[in-house]
Amino acid sequence: MINSDIAKTDDAVISIRGVSMSYGARRVLDRVDLNVHRGEILVLLGGSGSGKSTLLKHVLGLVRPETGSITVNGVDITCCSPSELGAVRRRIGVAFQAAALFNSLSVEENVALPLRELTRLADSTIKLMVWMKLTAVGLADAGSLYPPELSGGMRKRAAVARAMALDPEILILDEPSAGLDPIVSAGLDELILFLKRSLGVTILVVTHELESAFRIADRIAMLYRGRLIAVDTKEQFAGNPNPRIRPFLDRQPDAAPGVAAEEFIASYLRG
Amino acid sequence: MTIQFWSVLGKLPRMLPIVGTGRRWRSVVQQMFAIGASALPMSGAMALCTGFILALQSAAELRRFGALEMVVDLVAIGFTRELGPLITALSVSGRSASAISAEIGTMVVTEEIDALRVMGLDPVEFTLAPKYLAALITLPCLTVLSTFCGIFAGYLFLAFSMDISLRIYLQAVAEAVLLRDVAFMLVKSLVFATIIVHVGCLEGLRVRGGPEAVGHSTTAAVVKSTFLVIFADLLATAIFYLMGWSSVR
Repeated sequence: MINSDIAKTDDAVISIRGVSMSYGARRVLDRVDLNVHRGEILVLLGGSGSGKSTLLKHVLGLVRPETGSITVNGVDITCCSPSELGAVRRRIGVAFQAAALFNSLSVEENVALPLRELTRLADSTIKLMVWMKLTAVGLADAGSLYPPELSGGMRKRAAVARAMALDPEILILDEPSAGLDPIVSAGLDELILFLKRSLGVTILVVTHELESAFRIADRIAMLYRGRLIAVDTKEQFAGNPNPRIRPFLDRQPDAAPGVAAEEFIASYLRG
Repeated sequence: MTIQFWSVLGKLPRMLPIVGTGRRWRSVVQQMFAIGASALPMSGAMALCTGFILALQSAAELRRFGALEMVVDLVAIGFTRELGPLITALSVSGRSASAISAEIGTMVVTEEIDALRVMGLDPVEFTLAPKYLAALITLPCLTVLSTFCGIFAGYLFLAFSMDISLRIYLQAVAEAVLLRDVAFMLVKSLVFATIIVHVGCLEGLRVRGGPEAVGHSTTAAVVKSTFLVIFADLLATAIFYLMGWSSVR
């Protein structure tokens, strides 16, 4: 039992240990422990304001935690030098929630940007690599368009292509299917599974879309008000009886305000 | 407010050496149009009006001493040393400091700045360098042009009131303006360019939260850069005066 646990820890690409963070008096993250293993898709679930985005920013080294440590590829990014952090980040690809494409650059140039700035590859090589990434996400024809001309789904795909530009070991996707219609969203799920199958990338997905989570996940972790309340394979997660998880899975409101009001009125009328 | 102001000021020197690294000439040219070329009508018109106002106001006094022709010296020197760079900087500050902070603030909100950081690119260098280089090139050019406009307004006034020919007027201007006045003008415009672009950029980068914060940063950028431009002008002029460079002949 203990041995298998140690083996798992060694296998962790991202290892989050006791991370806490608060904005003012509000605790956003409360002693979060989480491992992401090599080659898996881990979906981080949680409602709005549960701290998922904040946790993501910690993993990217954009925010330093108050306490705890975060190890990515064996480097503790909470206390390493900027150059070490840079080296770690080069092996992480991120697709942000709002896609974060640069509007002044075409889709091709957006994907080429990390290659041009961080490598010394020849232009023809970069062109070929960009074409490969855009083909992989199904945007081979849209390379010369500019971000404002793209639909929501195309933007997300372009963001994934840019995140894949440097062939990262870890891919982080922030709300990939938020604001997309079910068909486009399902297409994006297939794309994520394809990337994992074909390239063996470790993928961390933050979302609150249950269907998409159960489609792509190997394991699911759930954040509730800054606390990690479950980390499980998706089959076990679906059967989790935790009263904080059930409402999320069964799509029930947190504290039914209508019922409370009715009871209050009824008791008031009774005197 | 004051603490924020000083923190902005304290960051200025750190960013000064970052100019034009990388191959971003295309965006430099774009920025030269945005910051420089499209500000030309406004700063030119402002300089024409101010030149005419200056001539009108001074003529009323100078006429009493029978020295109406001194209006030429006043307008020429006043514009070269002072009003040309200042009016240009104020118009660029109003147009571009706000535009820069809005653009960069929006990039913060849409996580583009985070994306740059995660890609290992310096957001300051990436966003600021092309704009700064463009401003350093275009602001002196704009300053020279609006100084010409202001001096030409002085000619318009004198042509009405004492029937002077353009050739004689320009000769008088050339006699009045010294080379060091022109150098002073150009140095000032470079300082103003630095202030406007850096304040706009820093205010944009400080945006936190949603789109409404972009609006606040835009206002703050214009207020701070306008104030800093005038304050820097005061310092520069004081130095010029103390060094004894401002005595005419």
